[in-house]
Amino acid sequence: MKLLAIPVLLAAALAAVPAQAKLRVFACEPEWGSLMRELGGDKVDVDVATTALQDVHVVEAKPSLIAKVRAADLVACTGAGLEVGWLPQLLRQSGNAKVAAGPGSFMAAMQVKRLEVPTALDRANGDVHPEGNPHVQMDPRRILVIAKALGARLAQVDPANAATYQARTEDFSRRWLAAMVRWKARAAPLKGRKVVVHHISWPYLWDWLGMQQIGALEPKPGVPPTAGHLAGLVGITKSSGTLAIVHAAYMDPKASEWLSSRTGVPAVALPFTVGGDAQAKDLFGLFDSTLDKLLAQAK
Amino acid sequence: MTLNWDALDLAILGPACAAGLLVLATHVPLGKQVLARGIIFIDLAIAQIAGLGVILAQALGVDEHGIGVQFAAAAAALLGAGLLAWTDRRWPERQEPLIGTLFVLAATGGLLLLANNPQGGEHLKDLLVGQILWVNYAQLLPVLLLSLVLLALLWWRRRRLAGLWFYGLFALAITASVQLVGVYLVFASLIVPALATAGLRGRAGLAWAYAIGVLGYVGGLAASAVLDLPSGALIVWALAGFALLAQAAPGLRRATRA
Repeated sequence: MKLLAIPVLLAAALAAVPAQAKLRVFACEPEWGSLMRELGGDKVDVDVATTALQDVHVVEAKPSLIAKVRAADLVACTGAGLEVGWLPQLLRQSGNAKVAAGPGSFMAAMQVKRLEVPTALDRANGDVHPEGNPHVQMDPRRILVIAKALGARLAQVDPANAATYQARTEDFSRRWLAAMVRWKARAAPLKGRKVVVHHISWPYLWDWLGMQQIGALEPKPGVPPTAGHLAGLVGITKSSGTLAIVHAAYMDPKASEWLSSRTGVPAVALPFTVGGDAQAKDLFGLFDSTLDKLLAQAK
Repeated sequence: MTLNWDALDLAILGPACAAGLLVLATHVPLGKQVLARGIIFIDLAIAQIAGLGVILAQALGVDEHGIGVQFAAAAAALLGAGLLAWTDRRWPERQEPLIGTLFVLAATGGLLLLANNPQGGEHLKDLLVGQILWVNYAQLLPVLLLSLVLLALLWWRRRRLAGLWFYGLFALAITASVQLVGVYLVFASLIVPALATAGLRGRAGLAWAYAIGVLGYVGGLAASAVLDLPSGALIVWALAGFALLAQAAPGLRRATRA
């Protein structure tokens, strides 16, 4: 009996290792890393490729990035062309077929209806994304849809812990819906207010809040504005009762401050993603902070 | 800082290392020429002109992913090389400021063209800021063939490498290497080994320069994996570090004193 017990124990030990190993998840942006921690808890090990204080269109290549994607069971990114400058190379170099396509590849923006999908692709309109505007993380309604899809995806790639993912997704959805009711009530004074933006990264936020974007410092992404455009923008900003000039925390505030100094309209830095400021520690904090900063100007 | 020994993985670092060695193969001898002529910013100018060629090609409707872009880049670089070979003959004493002027004209000309063709901006960036870690072996094959041809021509014209020959070969080498490893590494691969061995002539000088280059790339790549830092930037510093260390070697010191 003893002789038999050793191989049985060994086999049991070997079988137990993969069951205990956490699901390895690679997130391109902090908001999806944060969502993954909400839905996966201690069942997942999350690596995040970028921080809130950098432009996610460009990433410095480090060997560790390739190593992390190679070891990943699931890659969660925004998609819709946001990471087109580096994610395809990273996936190719990692040689990890599991996350290159199929269940191991989760593109958040593709789970929801996107805004600004061009009817005709024309280069004259700037660095436009054919799949529409990818910055979907600024709408809590879309976050909820993405959370449910991501929860289901986690259960699909890691069926052993499916019950945990399902329970955590339900719990997150409950807390998120409660927070959305709170946010909606607080945001009432913002409805109908006008904003000028630096880069057109915010359509989902304005769509949710019922705010109106009346101009942009960089109307064509990737193209510096012309003198004529800036002169027109100063006029519009001054005459429209503009609430604020908004830019993301990672962006250089120079352009916003320039417009602010000429119009008297305050320039406001919003976190844009988890980690963008001290208050935006998680997805809940991201929207608390965003509303606080906009409401401070509405008083 | 935690050391990350797992990242020392040949599958990750192998293609980058091969790209670096390929770039070095042509750039070390070309760098000696560049230094001897005192026109060290010519690589930046040529790379910008190649980029300008790509923007122009796209404005004219050339497919942005096809081989057409490579031809546009090479053609523009060769035209630039022709212009520089002519100015070198006409005003040899003003070659360096002329190269500088050509660099800013090409760079800002790109911005002006991009005002109406912004999508080209992405490709201009691809062309100028190639990242050594994103290289794969399939990409290296055409560069390997080009490097072999360039090395053969360099060897064949080794005593008479002047005028259009020098500028033309240089333009083709730079157009290929900038896309693989980016301008910082191209500049460092050209100048640093040549500078470190400026006192040595002939075969010995070339051998020392190659040794510094290889140590810089291999050491820099390995260090970037272990320390988890951006590879391109760390290789530049490793090249400079090994160039300084080499000054302590007896062979180089004797030559520099002499």
